[in-house]
Amino acid sequence: MVSTPLLEAAELISRERVAPGFWCLGFRSPEIARRARPAHYVAIDLPGTFSVRLPLGIWTARDDTFTLLFREWGERTTRLACIADHEPLSIIGPLGNEFSLPDTGKRAVIVAGGIGVVPFWLLVRELLAAKVRTTVVLGARSKHMLVGVDELRALGADVKICTDDGSAGTRATALDLARELAPPDVFYGCGPPPLLRALSEHANAAGIPCQISMEETFGCSMGTCWGCVVPIRRGSPQAVGYPHASDEKREYDFARVCVDGTVFWSREILWNR
Amino acid sequence: MMGAGDDDALDLSVELGSLRLRNPIIAASGCYNRGAEFGRIMDVAAYGAVTLKSVTREPRLGNEMPRLLSTPGGLLNAIGLQGPGIAYFLEHEAPKLAAVPSAVIASVAGFSVAEFAEVASRMDGIPGIVAIELDVSCPNVDAEGACFAEDPASTAAVVEAVKARVTKVPVIAKLTPNVSDIKPVARAAEAAGADALSLINSLRGMSVDVDRARPWLANRSGGLTGPAIRPVGVYHVWEAATAVKIPIIGMGGIETGRDALEYLMAGATAISIGTANFRDPLAPLHVGETIAAELRKRSFTRVRSLTGMANPGFAGARA
Repeated sequence: MVSTPLLEAAELISRERVAPGFWCLGFRSPEIARRARPAHYVAIDLPGTFSVRLPLGIWTARDDTFTLLFREWGERTTRLACIADHEPLSIIGPLGNEFSLPDTGKRAVIVAGGIGVVPFWLLVRELLAAKVRTTVVLGARSKHMLVGVDELRALGADVKICTDDGSAGTRATALDLARELAPPDVFYGCGPPPLLRALSEHANAAGIPCQISMEETFGCSMGTCWGCVVPIRRGSPQAVGYPHASDEKREYDFARVCVDGTVFWSREILWNR
Repeated sequence: MMGAGDDDALDLSVELGSLRLRNPIIAASGCYNRGAEFGRIMDVAAYGAVTLKSVTREPRLGNEMPRLLSTPGGLLNAIGLQGPGIAYFLEHEAPKLAAVPSAVIASVAGFSVAEFAEVASRMDGIPGIVAIELDVSCPNVDAEGACFAEDPASTAAVVEAVKARVTKVPVIAKLTPNVSDIKPVARAAEAAGADALSLINSLRGMSVDVDRARPWLANRSGGLTGPAIRPVGVYHVWEAATAVKIPIIGMGGIETGRDALEYLMAGATAISIGTANFRDPLAPLHVGETIAAELRKRSFTRVRSLTGMANPGFAGARA
């Protein structure tokens, strides 16, 4: 289901540097916090010189506040990390579709890479409330890039960690670790494209439904500019399709990550187009 | 609705050929669709008109990703005119135009004179479409890919062919800033029968990803928009306004009411807001309020009084 966003003035109420280059900012923003669902994101108007809104996934949401967990990457995230305390920001949200949940008693495995952990606090909370047996496998390049573990464990989730360099948890990728688990009823994934592609191929081969939260460079964050498209199997409900001269061979249509996603079924994503 | 609309003493209406808009604030093509997306969080009726995304004869899948890059004060884009083509547009999208709370300007893109003429003529008379804008910044496949709008004769050929077949609504030629002198192109469009000009389109640009030693955009180059290009737009509007009598819609980096006033005073009759919607969807409201305040400050009653007031060479009509 696609969200009904609103434009809200949000006040920065907390700021924590959770790891080198990683920040967790808390905002008082009652309506957005109340409407936030797993995989929803917000689009932030940064003060100062013009830039398009910065889209960031919602990490936690409780009562009238939500938090954003993000990595400083590029000029806009650095500006966000440095905004003044209690500065009111114009935020549009929640935006995007949401993860769908399996039935009670099913088993879910979440595969997250690095900052790809972001959509999973809300999801884990939902899954546990729905009595879905949930394991989170969280991987990162090294220990200091592993974020969000404590918060997920605080929800009561079974969290397994791994790093590429072995500096924390198992020396493995998140998918390596997930493969060792008993096959679940559903996979969820978010993180770097190579991980998501490998997870999709694994899930598709095993016949296990898998939902992927995708990332692309957004322009408008509202669905008007067509800047953030991904190739999706033709005829998929999320694809925006129309007849085209190359119809004979073409297997894909484009979907907008910002409004048709960010969540897509792994079987619909055409990594190989 | 608008801050100014409450004030009966102010006349914000403008005329673009035979078209009269209730206010001079237009949503730019490619940034707004029919307004349904932004309509989720604001009242699209703040706009006097919205300009649709450009429609081509054939469906187009557009460019590969990445298509966008945020740059200092702007946005670099290479979408590649992704769109359904005219037949699908007429069947599936045109019927939805009646629900748009503003006037609707259609935009046509083409790669040959014949394509422009065909697509524009099929738009003519569609209920809800009050004007047709020609995106003549496309490459001309009949002239080795040279951009129509970089050449006065090619621009005139497109406008003339369209005007021969479009009789019900005004035709607007949207010109490129990628020329050293806009005046000959503006004059050629006017002489060919254009009812108004839009300027500027995006400025051609590029950014290189130094870490990977390759261009950021899959298309390599793209169109730069946003406040970074505003001085270029104001300059081209100023220049064109000294060369033609037809009204000019000024655009390029308008974010605030003062930005809009720059364009109006340089010679624009109306203005368009594009990329700024991606920061502030309420921009048309703020721009309207600032224009109204400026009129009161100067004891003007009509927004048309602002047009060209900073430009001694202004050649157009203010009334």
